[in-house]
Amino acid sequence: MNPILELDNVHYRYPGQPDPALRGASLSVPAGSKVAIVGRNGSGKSTLFLHCNGILRPHSGTVRVGGRPVTYDRCSLLDLRRRVGIVFQDPEDQLFSASVAQDISFGPLNLGLDGEEIRRRVQVAAEMCEITELLNRPTHAMSGGQKTRAALAGVLAMDPEVLLVDEITGSLDPWMRRQILAIFDRLVSSGTTVIMATHDMRIARGWADMVAVMDAGRVLATDRPDAIFADRNLVELITPEDEW
Amino acid sequence: MQIIDRYAYSSRARVVDPMYKAGLALLVIVLCLVLDRPMVGLLAAAWMWGLATYWGGLPVLLFGRVLLAEAAFLLLTVAGVAVSVSTIPPAIGWSWNLGPLWVGCSPASLETALRLATRALGGTAAMNFLALTTPLVDLIDALRRLKTPALLIDLMTLVYRFLFTLLESLTRIHTAQESRLGYVNLSRGMSSAGVLAGQLFVDACHRSRRLQIALESRGYSGELRVLPAEYRRDRWLPWLGAGIVASLFLARVIA
Repeated sequence: MNPILELDNVHYRYPGQPDPALRGASLSVPAGSKVAIVGRNGSGKSTLFLHCNGILRPHSGTVRVGGRPVTYDRCSLLDLRRRVGIVFQDPEDQLFSASVAQDISFGPLNLGLDGEEIRRRVQVAAEMCEITELLNRPTHAMSGGQKTRAALAGVLAMDPEVLLVDEITGSLDPWMRRQILAIFDRLVSSGTTVIMATHDMRIARGWADMVAVMDAGRVLATDRPDAIFADRNLVELITPEDEW
Repeated sequence: MQIIDRYAYSSRARVVDPMYKAGLALLVIVLCLVLDRPMVGLLAAAWMWGLATYWGGLPVLLFGRVLLAEAAFLLLTVAGVAVSVSTIPPAIGWSWNLGPLWVGCSPASLETALRLATRALGGTAAMNFLALTTPLVDLIDALRRLKTPALLIDLMTLVYRFLFTLLESLTRIHTAQESRLGYVNLSRGMSSAGVLAGQLFVDACHRSRRLQIALESRGYSGELRVLPAEYRRDRWLPWLGAGIVASLFLARVIA
């Protein structure tokens, strides 16, 4: 299958930081796959994500989406951000409106869609994330799991081809985590590519069909979960053996 | 503030166009000021209480409790109008001699005070009606439709949203400090409060940076555009407003 997302030897250093965050990260993600990115804190997972929708621009190396290198003019960035959506770790950082319905409508409005279509998308995204009954509730009165799903709906309403999810399952209870994974499965079966950064090895082993291991700003290996977890030395790098 | 916010969200009248509710509240305030009769103010307050309770589904006594809290301030202000202090005994009315001073009130000053109090009461009740049936997001929505500059709207949206987030941060940091005896005595308390304020500022800065990234990821281009909510515009609503206005005029004629 053709890769939908490719990073080729990407280097990046945050301004004012002595050490680079990415030192030649390369990754190739086939369309329609479920990818888990694992790696210790500070290994560069979030920085990698920010390169995928053009928030950060690599100092060297290239990012390709759908086979074409990313360009950084206004117009192509808007198109890129429609195709590649990111759900951030803390939903508080993403929900800017006190009305859930209005927050979800933000992305589709920026795409320049008309009112009828936006209303439809808000409804579909809310149904997919099972928050229809919360649409008119205030954001600040919702639980953590509800906020996470609202933030997810805000991204899904833009109908992305690639969904990047930055470690959102860590703060969810096991039932909520299962519910979120079920949502991702439905997305994948309708053709979306889902890439999730996670510390949860059960998700990496059981849910993903491809695992990428990151360490010190590089992707060390990308393979099927059973192949990755067969390599003791590799997995020892990111997690103690009794946590596999 | 949070209690009013919660009631506003759960109000039955929330689905009604905020423009209409704000218009009604403004009209009542203006009429209370212009018609200027105690009966008008009292009737307006009764209307607003009734609407918030029966239309909005608010607990009957809640409106009264909110109004009572505000009435305390009102009484303090009005007392200054009703009672006058002078060095010579007033010619009319009632007065008490306190050393060199005469404290007293006259029928005229009492009437002025009564007018002032009822006028303010009617206006306050109208504002309460609006606040208890209309959450701020809906009011911002109405302001947007009234072509308020986008910058102001965006600021209001963000301030309102992050008020609660910052409040949460504040509670969290405060609890963390307290659990390590940060407020054990006055001087430690002062120093902890200083650290808390500073930390809150840093927290807000980081938060705004992360918000910016998250917004850009959803195609933000300098304006927080959202789809206006849909409201109910019942046909009988204007008639309700007209009825209230007519009754206030009637009260003015009779009283």
